[in-house]
Amino acid sequence: MSLSSSQTLTISGQDLVKNGSRAPREDARAGLKPSTPTKKPQPPKPENAITIAVSSRVLFNMEKEQQIFEQQGMEEYIKYQVAHEAEPFRPGPAFSFVKALEAVNTQLRELYPESEELFDVVLITNNHAYVGLRLINTINHHQLFIERFCMTGGNSPIGYLKAYHTNLYLSADPVKVHEALGEGIAAATMFTPEKMTEVSETQLRVAFDGDAVLFSDESEQIFKAHGLDKFFEHEKAHENKPLDHGPLKGFLEVLGKLQKKFYAKGQRMDCPIRTYLVTARSAASSGARALKTLRSWGLEIDEALFLAGAPKGPMLEKIRPHIFFDDQMFHVEGAAEMGTVACHVPYGIAQRIPRKGVKDKETSQTVK
Amino acid sequence: MVSTVQNSDVRQKDVDHAVVVAVTSRALFESDTEEDGDGAYAAGVAFPLLQALQRVNEQLLQRNPAESLLFDVVLMTTDSQQQQSSRFMSSTRHHGLEVTRFCFSSEEDFIESLLKNNIQLFLTTDENEVLQATQKGVPSVLLDEHSAVCSSEQLRVLFCENAIIRPSSDPTPASRQAAQSFSSQLGKMRQKFGMFDSPLCFTLVTLRGGKDSCCGALKALRSIGVSVDEAYCLAGAPRSPILSLLRPHFLLSDGFSNLDD
Repeated sequence: MSLSSSQTLTISGQDLVKNGSRAPREDARAGLKPSTPTKKPQPPKPENAITIAVSSRVLFNMEKEQQIFEQQGMEEYIKYQVAHEAEPFRPGPAFSFVKALEAVNTQLRELYPESEELFDVVLITNNHAYVGLRLINTINHHQLFIERFCMTGGNSPIGYLKAYHTNLYLSADPVKVHEALGEGIAAATMFTPEKMTEVSETQLRVAFDGDAVLFSDESEQIFKAHGLDKFFEHEKAHENKPLDHGPLKGFLEVLGKLQKKFYAKGQRMDCPIRTYLVTARSAASSGARALKTLRSWGLEIDEALFLAGAPKGPMLEKIRPHIFFDDQMFHVEGAAEMGTVACHVPYGIAQRIPRKGVKDKETSQTVK
Repeated sequence: MVSTVQNSDVRQKDVDHAVVVAVTSRALFESDTEEDGDGAYAAGVAFPLLQALQRVNEQLLQRNPAESLLFDVVLMTTDSQQQQSSRFMSSTRHHGLEVTRFCFSSEEDFIESLLKNNIQLFLTTDENEVLQATQKGVPSVLLDEHSAVCSSEQLRVLFCENAIIRPSSDPTPASRQAAQSFSSQLGKMRQKFGMFDSPLCFTLVTLRGGKDSCCGALKALRSIGVSVDEAYCLAGAPRSPILSLLRPHFLLSDGFSNLDD
């Protein structure tokens, strides 16, 4: 039996470097059977993969348990979880998004069997490991391909997000999301819509707001300070000056990288990834600067929808994205009302000068 | 030759129920340097660990003044440092360390001393001593400068699969049994604290296997009375970024079978 201090473990980390993410034995096994559909593929190395970190409450529906935690405290919450260990959770708002990521992976593996440029979904939760077995049972029940997780037992997830080179972090807790954004990690607070409209199982659709999501909030600042007319003037005058980047630009970038891999194999028309810009800007005026900015970054967006201030809900209901990012709660709520899984990116001027929605919803206090 | 001196400053523990931890004088003190004035040695790499053990004891006694499941810490000194023995004793007192006994032995006899004192965890900075003690079935930890930067407020124990750690020392049935019963003792201690603010924290890390081997490890630990607080399944991801965040005081590997291998 060996015990050691953490130092010994770090030293013998060399053998992990040798093995990499595919142990030699498994390579040999894979070599013998050219197509083994039942063989589980190995997760890619974090530095090669596009890592999507999700918290337990967005991946699964834990509303009942959350209520127990809020009303009866931690001990009762843990007791309940352990007592229901064999009972899988129902899917949460991020579930269909994760399934769509897996569908993209399947298609990428077919076209590029040697590549590690794949989505890697990691469960990063504040939950105690006591809830671990129930979470693992649920992952197995729903046949999700999630092999990596961190159950931090109450500690901040930020360090672990960085350790996994996280490209996108989704959580139900706005405090953690805010912290992650502060550390330069693309993050958004995910809400559960009352009803969730059906989404595609084969094509991943991601919708983004423009200002303060893909782009910086510089123009939004002008709008808030000086009103719509000044905003239009400013945007027209600076049409050819690219906007600064926003917190989710990087995520759009990695999606674009994967899209190009499909294009290279002739799958442009039916690409398994589709991106949308859903912005309050108008096509006639302020929209041009947005498109030119994207072009200057070398990024493509499949569909740009300029709503000129109209509500986003109905448009999103037509698009049926798996996920929609916006910096304004007004739009997030509007989208959720019509069944879209919408996430709030708490970035920029809109957080300090919010626009009041029809329902003045308070974001709930959470610990997870 | 093996001899023991009790530390009259510290209340002796009930050795039948306590978890006896031995630390070498080289690990506990920097015997090359002197603290200013009173000739006491400066703190060595084992200090934070010892302070964390002490804190667990404090909290256990707070909850139950008659608690007997406590850490019983003894200081082990071999031959070559015998002339410094009185300095070790006075340094222990100077730092207010909760060391109940001082055990002196020759280098050849130190294993005998470990066994005689029923040591359940042996802390040293000497790799040879670790190998020898492990072979005789005494769970041993090699401390180093990383140990010096661990928390002194919370004892953090890491459970990890044994496949990677020093393959040269294969666990004997005796040592596996000893480590398991040590883990169970720790598990019992942990149960006396709640979810928050526990001075004792257990973490499970599975390095290579996926969620199913982590699941197996959680169940295996549960079967020996250990409920972990944190769990990390790396599934082949690089370990050092994660480990540097976890900062465990020591690792226990309980021979979790890696189902995927």
